[in-house]
Amino acid sequence: MAMELHHTFTVDAPPEATWALLTDLEQVGGCFPGATVTSATETEFTGNVKVKLGPIGVTYQGEGRFVERDDEAHRAVIEGLGKGLRGLGNASAKVVLQLEPEGSGTKADVATSLNITGKPAQFGRGVMQTVSDKLLGQFVECIEGKLTP
Amino acid sequence: MTAVDDRPQAASTHEVGRDRRRKEDQRLITGRTKWTDNLVLPGMLHLAMVRSPLAHARITGIDATAAREAPGVIAVLTGEDVKDLQGSLPCAWPITEDQKAPPHPAIAVDRVAFSGEVVAVVAARSSAAARDAAELVDVDYEDLPAALELRASAQDETLAHPDLGTNRSATWVFDSAEAGTGSDVEDAIAEADVVVEREFRQQRLIPAFMEPRSTVVDPTGEQFVMWSATQVPHILRLMLAMTLGVDEGKIRVIAPDVGGGFGGKLQVTPEEIITFLVARHTGKPCKWTETRSESLLSAHHGRDQWQKLTLAAKADGTVTGLKVELLADMGAYLGLVTPGVPILGAFMYNSIYKFPAYHFSCTNVFTNKTWTDAYRGAGRPEATFAIERIMDELALELGRDPMEVREQNWITHEEFPFTTVCGLEYDSGNYEAATERAKELFGYDELRAEQQRRRESGDRVQLGLGISTFTEMCGLAPSRVLGSLNYGAGGWEHASVRMLPTGKVEVITGSSAHGQGHETAWSQIVADQLGVPFEDVEVLHGDTQISHKGLDTYGSRSLVVGGQAVINAAKKVIEKAKPLAAYQLEANVDDLEFSDGKFTVKGAGADQEGVGLAGLALAVFAAHDLPDGMEPSLDADATFDPVNFSFPHGTHLCAMEVDTETGATTMRSYVCVDDIGNVVNPLIVEGQVHGGLVQGIAQALWEEAVYDDQGTLVSGSFVDYTLPTTADTITFVTDRTTSPATSNDLGVKGVGEAGCIASTPAVVNAVLDAIRQFGVKDIVMPCTPERVWRAIQDGTAGAMSETAGAAAGHFAEGEPNQDPPGTGAAPAAGTTQEGGQA
Amino acid sequence: MIPPEFDYAAPTTVAEALELLAEHGDEAKVLSGGQSLLPVLRMRLNAPGIIVDISRIEELKGVTEVGDAIRIGAGATYQDVLDSALVREHLALLHTTLKEVADEQIRHRGTVCGALAHADPAGDVGAPVLALEGRMVIQGPDGERTVDGADFFVDLFETAVGEGELLTAVEIPKHTGWGAHYEKFVRVSHQWAIIGVAAAVRTDGGTIAEARVGLTNMGSTPLRARAVEEALVGQEATEEAVAQACAQVAEGTDPPSDLNGQADYRKHVAGVLTRRAVLAAAGA
Repeated sequence: MAMELHHTFTVDAPPEATWALLTDLEQVGGCFPGATVTSATETEFTGNVKVKLGPIGVTYQGEGRFVERDDEAHRAVIEGLGKGLRGLGNASAKVVLQLEPEGSGTKADVATSLNITGKPAQFGRGVMQTVSDKLLGQFVECIEGKLTP
Repeated sequence: MTAVDDRPQAASTHEVGRDRRRKEDQRLITGRTKWTDNLVLPGMLHLAMVRSPLAHARITGIDATAAREAPGVIAVLTGEDVKDLQGSLPCAWPITEDQKAPPHPAIAVDRVAFSGEVVAVVAARSSAAARDAAELVDVDYEDLPAALELRASAQDETLAHPDLGTNRSATWVFDSAEAGTGSDVEDAIAEADVVVEREFRQQRLIPAFMEPRSTVVDPTGEQFVMWSATQVPHILRLMLAMTLGVDEGKIRVIAPDVGGGFGGKLQVTPEEIITFLVARHTGKPCKWTETRSESLLSAHHGRDQWQKLTLAAKADGTVTGLKVELLADMGAYLGLVTPGVPILGAFMYNSIYKFPAYHFSCTNVFTNKTWTDAYRGAGRPEATFAIERIMDELALELGRDPMEVREQNWITHEEFPFTTVCGLEYDSGNYEAATERAKELFGYDELRAEQQRRRESGDRVQLGLGISTFTEMCGLAPSRVLGSLNYGAGGWEHASVRMLPTGKVEVITGSSAHGQGHETAWSQIVADQLGVPFEDVEVLHGDTQISHKGLDTYGSRSLVVGGQAVINAAKKVIEKAKPLAAYQLEANVDDLEFSDGKFTVKGAGADQEGVGLAGLALAVFAAHDLPDGMEPSLDADATFDPVNFSFPHGTHLCAMEVDTETGATTMRSYVCVDDIGNVVNPLIVEGQVHGGLVQGIAQALWEEAVYDDQGTLVSGSFVDYTLPTTADTITFVTDRTTSPATSNDLGVKGVGEAGCIASTPAVVNAVLDAIRQFGVKDIVMPCTPERVWRAIQDGTAGAMSETAGAAAGHFAEGEPNQDPPGTGAAPAAGTTQEGGQA
Repeated sequence: MIPPEFDYAAPTTVAEALELLAEHGDEAKVLSGGQSLLPVLRMRLNAPGIIVDISRIEELKGVTEVGDAIRIGAGATYQDVLDSALVREHLALLHTTLKEVADEQIRHRGTVCGALAHADPAGDVGAPVLALEGRMVIQGPDGERTVDGADFFVDLFETAVGEGELLTAVEIPKHTGWGAHYEKFVRVSHQWAIIGVAAAVRTDGGTIAEARVGLTNMGSTPLRARAVEEALVGQEATEEAVAQACAQVAEGTDPPSDLNGQADYRKHVAGVLTRRAVLAAAGA
């Protein structure tokens, strides 16, 4: 299953300040619903994500890192790969961040995509798709929340 | 019956033709029977497979430490552990000399090629412990791009097996001009008044047998004993020996009661090999039983083809040529007969019609999906669907009734035996008789009138009539023919008849029943042949130590081939008994006649006692007083190899109602009149026809194996793989006409696949017929309400010259049939169905 | 299929159940009829530490009359509710909907409250309960509270039942004399609803006096189509009038897209089915 979500929002802070926060992997990684960041450096982080939703409760363990980071252009690409515990299959996410000044503030463009393979697909009826859409939505909302005082 | 078998009958026919209740049903329906999973052996271990969640990936590491340390775990084996022992799973049907195929490991060693492939196996003291530990096996994968969509894969856009250099396994061609069986199809197309070109999609299906697969291997005796839920114990034994390098004499395979197969258990599976290897490794009996999810994911799938047909005809409707170009999805590997499945259809596209020119080509393509193989009908449902769909299209082009166009082109009953453009000799048939009876039962003309009324009144519920006048080739198969097709084995069947001292009879058959009712039918046949009571016949099968020789059950072959072997063996018993009877009656052998289980002397009057077979059996057992030189045995073996296939046929008529507001379809009536030759047990036949119809209807309306764009099977449970139940079907009207087969003494043709082969196009033709007035040209199977509704929307939009806006787009790239506007839903966000359509 | 290992407790009182839930926190899962939870466990999509089986709690069983409402305890199976004369008389919509739930075997094990707590938007019971203004009774460490449908269904598989709490009953106001119909759209009979429309109508001499419409699987929760309900009031129970009132039923909904249908198709079909359900409920 592949899910894509594109989200744009503006914040009052200038691009530099926004950029500093957005490139803090501990903050960004921690925005994923159910995520716990266990370690983070400048360029990568490790952690786990507990997806708990109604009857479903699964855990992914993984890591994320910058695959692209342009501090001038304020563009970054973060990739995360999670391995599902208990033979669940994998989940991978790619987040493309792009900041642009807008007036005195910043316009942020967040494109996230999520791939899930393996057992969750067995739940059927495309439910995991809905679940993933929801998780992505919460992720982006969290980022927006962190930037909007 | 509109035709009568007037050939002389050798044996009495008290039993054959009776609707005997099945002998085997009491134990089956009360559950007092032995399925493989019921077996419990001392010290037995339970296996659980670790399967790849990825469609295509390199295995970069497997850490089994935690699994090995888990409670109750005895062993964990990975591909690395067994790579020098497991051999390569067999493909018995390489269709061309230059066929390309990757090795087919039971446990993947360094790369997985489909989601569901086994990467490790856990053996533990309980099945729960095995499953728990399987989740602890930590496998690292490096993702590789997956070849998923069939047409793109045929273009080698992504390679399913990079080392192979191409996804194209083989291309197999039959051309009637080259074969000398007909003229050149390109000439026919060039000279045609009417050319109809259509593309059809055969969606991927899952056999979905009732009993999940299960295998037990006991390594503790002199022979390895394997119990398996298989259709093919004999083939399995041979293949185990060849694959694993174990002496064939050291392997015994038993298929106990097996709960259905539909071709899905015509396989030598990775799990069978793995269970064998683990049993040998641990020295303990091992059992593996799959979950339903595993079954849907990893047991072989069926169908999955793109079909392109070009039909040439004269202006008067006479067909002049047919060209068939197929792409067949093999999935990731070649199974036992994977490459040959589409080829089994090669001789059936011309069907019952007199095409003078024919060309068939099929390219087999690898993708990173579960491999395909035989599924009820194997190649012939695909062929029947395509030809019956395009005959409707021809009628449409000509503006004529579809039945009339068929009738104009089919082989008339006076023309049998008829040699087809493929070189097959159809021995018997009467398409007119079956059609006449079907139309009568269906009320064809009345339904046409109602259809007209509904169209005129603009009824929300429209009515459509669908036709399928099918034939198939059954009774696989003449060994000579199989040889010419590069098949790895023959098509004979073996039987033994043993006379027990008590007068009871044991029949051993090389066919391996898994729900067909062999025990009942064979008893009926032998009861008539030997004149013994039905109850006195015991039928044994499915154990290579009891039935040492056989080629098992598939392709509607059991009765046609195996039944004849039983008859031949029974006849030998009578011949062997004759000298003893003559000796006891003090008569000349030539003066004896045998009937109703008794030898009598010709012309000695009706009140003579004669000698019965039971008495002779006891005399032979004692062997105290036999004619000089007589071997003290009446038992006989026979191996029968047919000289020709049999060709069941029939006319199936279906009326479908379509709710034009929602696209929902409802079956109004279904009539089938099948000609399957003579019938041994009408009740069993009825069951086969009903079950077959539902499976074929399910392809038309309900079932599809769907992969997402990652190569994950998303129809991986019965939540999404919408298998019908009795609640979804109607009461079918069935009847038969009879033109006996000439290829066997019983005059039977085989019925295992008929319903499944015939019904699919009847249903789709009916759905289309209901809504063609909206401009609808085609609907991809399964005809879901959404697809039907979108077809109506698109068609209506086209007919009213409106720009599409509200409804979904026209034929997307990758949709079958070039003629816009088309059908098909937009793909679900983020998911791609087979072939890119959704 | 074998679920992962878990502890199991079968309390016989609500108090005991609540204690267990308090003790185990989010490690605990409540088992009622098990028709949704067990498949998930067998697929190993969850591994709770403990299962708290509430099916032996006598006080949760039964269907009773409570003033102007009917109370369905958390232990009542679909079949118990179907068999209830009270429900048949006063909650025709629920009765008729339950006939469409899954199959006979499931109806004898699954419970109405279990389905509500599971909050699968494709489940059949949410729509009629929501439409009939059912109130969920939730017990927790701090006592009992009552939540109405709009607040109960939060999101996909999410309800107002918090950690340590238990849905003990649903109380549905009587709708005596209302006509009712549940229109369930499926491809094969045992399937989840692709869409379902639950409609209850009170007519007054051929005119619709009041209407209630609930939707199954048209969003991440069961939905109530209030705009349609309002538009129906005062309409003649004729095809044309009802069709017009129901035409906008899908407006603002966000149905899923899956193998059975894309969102736009579901929206279209919802309109058709709502019209049919309302007309059938009105006896037209």
